[in-house]
Amino acid sequence: MITTIIVFLPLLGALLMLLLPDEERLVRYAALGVAAVPLVLVLFVYFRFGLGGNLDSSSLSQNFTWIESLGVGYRVGLDGLGFGMFFLAALLTLIAVAASWDITSNLKQYYAMLFVAEVGMLGVFAAQDLILFYIFFEITLVPMYLMVGIWGDQNRRAAAIKFFIYTFFGSTVMLAGFLAFGILAGTFSIADLGAGGGLGSVAQVAIAAPVLFGLLIKVPAVPLHSWLLDVYVSSPISTNVVLSGVLPKLGTFGIIKIALPLLPQGVEPFLPYVAALGVINIVYGAFVAFLQPDLKALVAYSSIGTLGFILLGAAAGNAVGLNGAVMQQVTHGLYSALLFILVGVIASKTGTRRIAELGGLAARMPWASGLLALGALAAMGLPGLAVFVSEFMSIMGGYEAFPVQGVLATLGIVLSAMYLLYMLARTIFGPIENPAYEEIGDAGPAALAAVVPLAALLVILGILPGLLINVQQPAVQAVVAAIGGS
Amino acid sequence: MPVTPETFVALIPELVALGFLVLVLLLGVFVPRSAAVPAALAALGSLAVFGSAVVLLAAGFSGEFFGGAFVVDGFALYFKLVVSASAFFTVLAAARWSGGTGDAPEYMTLILSVVAGSILLVSMRDLFGIFLAIELATIPSYAMVAFDRSRRESSEGGMKYLITGVIASSVLLYGIVLIYGVSGSAQLSEVAQAFSEGLSPVALLGLVLLVSGFAFKVSAAPFHFWTPDAYQGAPTSAAAFLSVAPKAATFAVLLRILLEGMPEAAPAWTAVMAFIAILTMFVGNLFALRQRNVRRMLAYSSVAHSGYILAAFAALQGPALSTGVQAVMIYSAAYAVMNLGAFFVIDLVGDDGKSYNGLLKTRPGIALSMGVFMAALVGLPPLSGFFGKLYVILAGAQSGSVLVYVVVGAVVVNSVLSVPYYFGIVRNMFFEEPGGGEPGVSGSGALRFSVYALAVATALFFLVMGPLAALVSGAGLV
Repeated sequence: MITTIIVFLPLLGALLMLLLPDEERLVRYAALGVAAVPLVLVLFVYFRFGLGGNLDSSSLSQNFTWIESLGVGYRVGLDGLGFGMFFLAALLTLIAVAASWDITSNLKQYYAMLFVAEVGMLGVFAAQDLILFYIFFEITLVPMYLMVGIWGDQNRRAAAIKFFIYTFFGSTVMLAGFLAFGILAGTFSIADLGAGGGLGSVAQVAIAAPVLFGLLIKVPAVPLHSWLLDVYVSSPISTNVVLSGVLPKLGTFGIIKIALPLLPQGVEPFLPYVAALGVINIVYGAFVAFLQPDLKALVAYSSIGTLGFILLGAAAGNAVGLNGAVMQQVTHGLYSALLFILVGVIASKTGTRRIAELGGLAARMPWASGLLALGALAAMGLPGLAVFVSEFMSIMGGYEAFPVQGVLATLGIVLSAMYLLYMLARTIFGPIENPAYEEIGDAGPAALAAVVPLAALLVILGILPGLLINVQQPAVQAVVAAIGGS
Repeated sequence: MPVTPETFVALIPELVALGFLVLVLLLGVFVPRSAAVPAALAALGSLAVFGSAVVLLAAGFSGEFFGGAFVVDGFALYFKLVVSASAFFTVLAAARWSGGTGDAPEYMTLILSVVAGSILLVSMRDLFGIFLAIELATIPSYAMVAFDRSRRESSEGGMKYLITGVIASSVLLYGIVLIYGVSGSAQLSEVAQAFSEGLSPVALLGLVLLVSGFAFKVSAAPFHFWTPDAYQGAPTSAAAFLSVAPKAATFAVLLRILLEGMPEAAPAWTAVMAFIAILTMFVGNLFALRQRNVRRMLAYSSVAHSGYILAAFAALQGPALSTGVQAVMIYSAAYAVMNLGAFFVIDLVGDDGKSYNGLLKTRPGIALSMGVFMAALVGLPPLSGFFGKLYVILAGAQSGSVLVYVVVGAVVVNSVLSVPYYFGIVRNMFFEEPGGGEPGVSGSGALRFSVYALAVATALFFLVMGPLAALVSGAGLV
C-alpha cells in the first residue's frame, strides 16, 4: 500500500500545483514540499524495511487483477534491483525543483509536468507487471516532451519532437515484445514469468530481440543515441537533472529487471553484444566529449559514456557485475545531475557555456568550482567516491565474463580522466579568461542546496557502499540464479 | 416464423430508435421551429436506446428471431451501446449548430436514422438484411454530409460521398448476390456450409467484391479517397459521427459475416485483410502527415485507424480468434471517445492549424482536452487508444502467422509515423504564442460539455478497462 501511495502522491501534487495562485514564492515552496513527501516516505521505507532486507514484505506490495482475460494486473512492489532508483527518482525530483531557478514563466505548469513525470519514474521501478511497467515507462514521455518543448532553449521544439519519436519508437517495439511474451506465457505478472515463462529458447530469443532493442534506444546505446544530444543541450537545467539522472535507467533497469531474469535463454546470444555496446558507449562517449566546445555537451557525452558501465556489468550476468550495474544506475544519476546543475550555474553567472571562453572560475566561484571538481573526479572514477565502486565492480564482472570488453572498458576510465581534467583545467583553473568574470559571485544558496546533497551522497556511498549494496544484494543473487539456472 | 413477445423484447432498441425518430420528425411539422426541443428529444432517444441495450445485456438476453435473420447476442448489444453513446454526444454537439440552420428536426432525424440502421445492422445475420440495414444507415448519412447549405463544400462532399457510396453499395450487392448464388441461401449459417466445401472461383469473386464493398464503407485503402472530401465538406458533427458509429457497426457486421458465414475461407480473407490493413495504415498516416488542414488530417487519421482495426481482422486465425474479435470491440469503443472529441474540438476552434496557436494560454481547458485526444490517437498509455492498439498487437502476437507479424510491425511503425501530425497540433497549442490565424473559440455549452466529457472518458478509460475486458471476452462471437 505504501508503495502505491508513494508512486501516486506526486499526481496529487501536480493537481495541487495547478490550483495554487500565481505567486512565485508560494509555488516554489509548495513544489519543494510536494517533492519532499515521497522522498521522506522512501527514506522511511529504507530504514524500516530496506536495511533489514525486508523489501519483499507484503506491506510494500499490492497485487490485484485488472484485465482478467489477459492476465494483466495492478502489481507493484519493491525489490533490491529497483529500490536504489526508486529513491533516486524521488531525490532527483526534489533536486530538480530546487534547481529550477531558470524557469521563470508558467512555473506552476512546469512543476505539474515534473510531478506527472515523477509518477512514471517511480512507477517503473515499482512495477511488477509488464503492462504496468510499460504504462509507467510511457507516462514520462509527454511531460518530458512538454518540459523541453515549452521551457527549453531556442532549438527546443525540434529537440522535443525528436526525443519523443525516437523513444516512442523504442518503447512501442518493446511493448510488442512484452505482449508476445505475456500472451504466450499466459500472464504479465513479473513474479510468475520467471525463467522464460515456460517458453522455449527460440521463442525467448524472438521476444528478447525487440525488448532489448527498445530498451537500448531508451538508454541510449551508442548507435541509437542520436536523439539525445539535442534534447540534453536544449533542456532547462532542472529537466536535465531527471532526463540524465533517471530516464536512461528506465532502459537499463528494464534490461536488469525484465530481459535478464525473465528471458535468460533469449538474451544469452545477445549478451556479448550488449557488453560490446557498453564498451562502445564508454569509449565513444569519452572521445566525443573531448571534442565538445560546449560544457553542457561535454557533460552530456560524459553521461552517455558512463552509462556504458551499466550495460557492461548487466551483460556480465555475474553477481559482481550486476551489483556494479545496479549501483552504477544510482551513482551515475548522482554525478550527472550534479554536473548538469553546476554547468547551469556557471552558464547563468558567466553568460556562456563555451569552454574556450571560460577559465579561472575557481577564484571567483570557489564553491561551484570545488563541487564541479568533485563531480568530475567522481565521473572519472576516483577511488573514495561512489562511482568508483560501481564502475570497478562493473568492470570486474565484465572482465570475468567477457575479457576483451572488460579490458577495453578500463581504457574508458583513462580517457574520461583525460577529458575531465582538461575540462577542469580550462574552466576553473588558470588565469581569469574574461575581465567581466572578476565581478561574478559564487553559486547561490538554491544551487548549493541542490548540489550539496548529491556531493554528500557521492562521498558517503563511496566510503560506505554497503548502504546500497546490502539492499540490492538478495535481488541480484536471484537474478544470477535465474540466469545460471538456464 | 412465429412472432412471440420475445421478438418485441429483442427489437426494443430498434423500436425505441424508430419511435423517437418519428417523434422528432413529426415535431418538426407540427411544433414551431426550435433547436432545443428536437435536440433534447434526440438525446433522450439515444439514451433510451443505450439504456435498453444495457438492460438487455444485463439480463443476459439473447436469441435468434425471424428465422435466424435477426440475432441478439452480447456482441450485437455491445455495438448498440457504442453507436447510441456516440449518437448522444453528437446530438449534444450538434444542437446549437443545427438550430442555426433552421432545420434542427431534420438533422436530428437523420442522426436517429443512422442510429436505427447501425443498431439493426449489428444484429443481422442474413446477407440481404445486412445490405438493407447498411443502406438504412448510409442513405441518411449522405444527407448529413450535404446538410450545410451555407457552404458549397458541403454539397460537394455530399455529392462525392453519394456517388462513391452508391458504387460501393452496388459492388457489395454484387458480391452478396454471387455468394447467394453459390450457397443458395443468404443465411450466414447456410453460407458457411457452402463455403466449407472449398472455395470456388465464383465464391472467391463474391468474397472479394464483398470485402471491397465493405472497404469502401469503412474507408480502407485503396477505396478511401472519398473520405477527406466528405469529411471536409460535412458539418463537423456529421463527420465526427460518421467516422465513428456507422463505421463501428460496419466493422462489427463484417466480422460476423466472415466468422459466421465463411470461417472455412479464413486463410483467404485473413491474407486479403493483412494486405488491406498494411496499405490502409500507411496511406492514412502518410497522407495525414502532409495535411495543413486539421479536419483533412483527422479524415486521413480515421483512414489510418481503420487500418489498425483491419490489422485485428488479419489476426483472426488459430489461437488469436477470440482476442482478434475482442480487439475490434475494444478498439471501436476506444476510438469513438477520442475521435468524437477531436472532431468536436475542431468544431470549436477551426480547421486551420494556426488557429490552435497558443490555445493553452487562451483556452486551457480546450487545449488540454485536445492534447488528451491527440495523445490517445497516438496510442499513449493509459489513454483509450492505447488499449485498442494493445489488443490489436496482442491478437497479432497470438496468431502465430508470419504475415500477421509483418502486420504488427506495420502497426508499430505507423504508430510512430503518426506522432508528428498529432503532436503538431499539440506543439501549436502548447509551444506557440497566441495570435495568427482566425482567432476566437465559439460554441455552445452543450458542445463544450461533450468535449470535456469525452476528454475525461478518454483519459480515464483505464478505470473501466477491467469490466470492459470482461464484457468483451464474454460477448465475443467465438
